[in-house]
Amino acid sequence: MIQFLFSRLASALFVIFGVTCLVFLLLHMVPGDPVEVMLGESSQPADREALRRALGLDQPLLTQFGQYLGNLAQLDLGKSLYSQRPIVDMLLERIPATAQLAVSALIVAVLIAFPLGVLAAVKKGSHWDQSAMGVSLIGVSIPNFLMGPILILVFSLWLGWFPVSGRDGFVSLVLPALTLGTAMAAILSRMVRATLLETLNEDYIRTARAKGLSERLVVWRHAMRNALLPVITLLGLQLGVLLGGAVITEVVFSWPGLGQLTIESIQRRDYPVVQACVLLISLTYVVVNTLTDLVYGWLDPRVRLEGGR
Amino acid sequence: MPRLLIFLLALLVVGPALLGCSKPETDALRFGISSAPINLDPRFATDAASSRINRLLYQRLVDFDDAYLAKPALASWQALTPVHYRFQLINQQPEFHDGAALTTADIKATYDSVLDPDTASPHLAGFNMIDAIEIIDDRSIDFHLNKPDPLFPGRLVIGIMPAKLLVTDHPFNRHPIGSGPFQFVDWPEEGRLQLQRLNDKQTFEFIAVKNPTVRVLKLLRGEIDMLQNNLPSELVGYLAEQEEINLIKSPGSSFTYLGFNMQDEDTGNLNLRRAIAYALDRDAIIKYVMGDAATPANALLPPDHWAGNSDLLPYLHDPDKARLLLKQAGYVDGKRAQIIYKTSSDPFRIRLATVIQQQLSEVGIDVDLRSYDWGTFYGDIKAGRFQMFSLSWVGIKTPDIFRYVFHSEYIPPNGANRGHYSDIQADELIDAAEAELTLPQQAKYYAQLQAHLLQQLPYVPLWYEDHLFAARKEINGYTLARDGNYDGVIHVRRD
Repeated sequence: MIQFLFSRLASALFVIFGVTCLVFLLLHMVPGDPVEVMLGESSQPADREALRRALGLDQPLLTQFGQYLGNLAQLDLGKSLYSQRPIVDMLLERIPATAQLAVSALIVAVLIAFPLGVLAAVKKGSHWDQSAMGVSLIGVSIPNFLMGPILILVFSLWLGWFPVSGRDGFVSLVLPALTLGTAMAAILSRMVRATLLETLNEDYIRTARAKGLSERLVVWRHAMRNALLPVITLLGLQLGVLLGGAVITEVVFSWPGLGQLTIESIQRRDYPVVQACVLLISLTYVVVNTLTDLVYGWLDPRVRLEGGR
Repeated sequence: MPRLLIFLLALLVVGPALLGCSKPETDALRFGISSAPINLDPRFATDAASSRINRLLYQRLVDFDDAYLAKPALASWQALTPVHYRFQLINQQPEFHDGAALTTADIKATYDSVLDPDTASPHLAGFNMIDAIEIIDDRSIDFHLNKPDPLFPGRLVIGIMPAKLLVTDHPFNRHPIGSGPFQFVDWPEEGRLQLQRLNDKQTFEFIAVKNPTVRVLKLLRGEIDMLQNNLPSELVGYLAEQEEINLIKSPGSSFTYLGFNMQDEDTGNLNLRRAIAYALDRDAIIKYVMGDAATPANALLPPDHWAGNSDLLPYLHDPDKARLLLKQAGYVDGKRAQIIYKTSSDPFRIRLATVIQQQLSEVGIDVDLRSYDWGTFYGDIKAGRFQMFSLSWVGIKTPDIFRYVFHSEYIPPNGANRGHYSDIQADELIDAAEAELTLPQQAKYYAQLQAHLLQQLPYVPLWYEDHLFAARKEINGYTLARDGNYDGVIHVRRD
């Protein structure tokens, strides 16, 4: 297990370093100048030059990259070009909101997808199956930028149950979590149905039924455990996506998360903030994927045994 | 497995509470804005939202009247010589929000800080005419210039900051302390800024809601009390029909135009540019696309600006004249003009560009419309990689913009003459205007210059976009400013 963790850590460091280099270079290669964006159209050339010098943007790209890596090695993410605030503070402000939304959306997705997927698999070919998959098709077909405003219109404006947007208490979390969760649930429920169907055809399931176990136990205890592996992979990846910031949902609901910060920083060409955000997102992916692999071991002893050898 | 589901359900209910969500303010007046302020230090603020909030937090020496003439704010002034201005505090005892008196030492410290290259203020070059700042006494301060500048008082619009905090590197960007009508309360998260109006202790919350539809829905549901600008015309029309909403509109000064590359074989042809001007039906665009929320423009400065020209005659929609001019430009025997038109990827700008494309097509000009993300688009425009583009000038108050945009010495990187417009007469009029020592004399030359530019069309002027303010019925007393600032909140109230 320790050997496994070390190999993951080494590859993670390599991935993160690669992402860091790529993002730095790509950001500086795309057209657009942070100084121009900051000062606006009517700025004076001397102002632009002075600001470029003050921000260190007049240095050769390699020098800037070297400085950036040097600071990064000391865990110094630097300051925002725009607000002059330490980027760590900015990230720390956003992470709780993003984590809160990501976890809630994931829970909503699981709560919808598992019963729906199991129902569709157990009642395969019936109206239940068709209805469940129909609902999931609708869920996956409606993009979040449409789902968000529809939910706002119905539940905020007509029914008055939840606030339209913002992060003002628990109630404000419901609609964004539902928007994100339902889209994810649609994909997840199809995955649960497919893998469960496959598992239900296995010999050991027939054995379990022959032993006289109830259908509930067969499905939930025996079949589900094996059917979960690919679902967990998908969940891990989706959680990574969510923790990286669900940009559209965050914008629609004015949710002060990482996605909004990343997009706004890209638009302003606030290089250090974009770099820090992407670094954090890649780090999140690596951590979530490593955790997913560990959960594999917990769910399937065979994976653990292979890892131990 | 069902137990796992129950656990997840419980986590969904309890989790957010454990993670800590804040309760909303209920007695505050909530103002919906499209983008959050970024930096509340006036030495560094460059974005519109920060500048508008800073006007509420800090006082400036000088402000502008309706004709964009400089008027006293914190101080009145006297030009002792063309290079020597004396400013005198008007108010008997101005105070900062921490109770300290505002004196000329604070004014000097603020401007010294902006002028200090180590501060790296983006506004530094705007004050390169200042030679020295000299305190006469607690209430009088002199500015010595290195060259005459009749527009100088109007440049002193940086918010005054307390000298004693400037030396201690106080973080004004997040904890501003000024002497304006509002004081800072809290900034719990990026998109929620709380201020308090000093005269009645009314709390205000500025809430950033980027999506215009969501901003309107929040207004309808009462989650915000008011909002200003940045709404597409269909939402404006929708709001106008709502009983619980008051909508007010007032003329603005943001100038939208079509710009041309004067070095290009096609767009460098005056007859083609005139054909474009006559082919456009600006009134129809304003009425049907912009929801009547704009005023046709003939020049960069509005006609009621002190340096504006109210006698300019517009290019009225005349497709026949446009076709004739196209022929004169050399497009004969069924040959159609081909122009590449660049615009940003903003959906509203693309919609406007599509209408312009259609109108030009009707007279024989084929427009290849290309939209790009802002950074790429702006990069292309600055580098002169365009035939035709549309953009707006926002917040222009002084006529020195003409040198920056149309003088032949101000081709990038020296200025914003991006179309490489080079015209001896225009250069001479700009130089002559700036050589005059009085504003009325300058205005005379600028009026001539604007007539000349309208005739030569380095820009085809389109319109000045109106400002819009929508509020719930119980909100009263707000007045819209010409430049779209938020000063209306000084008097707004909930009845």
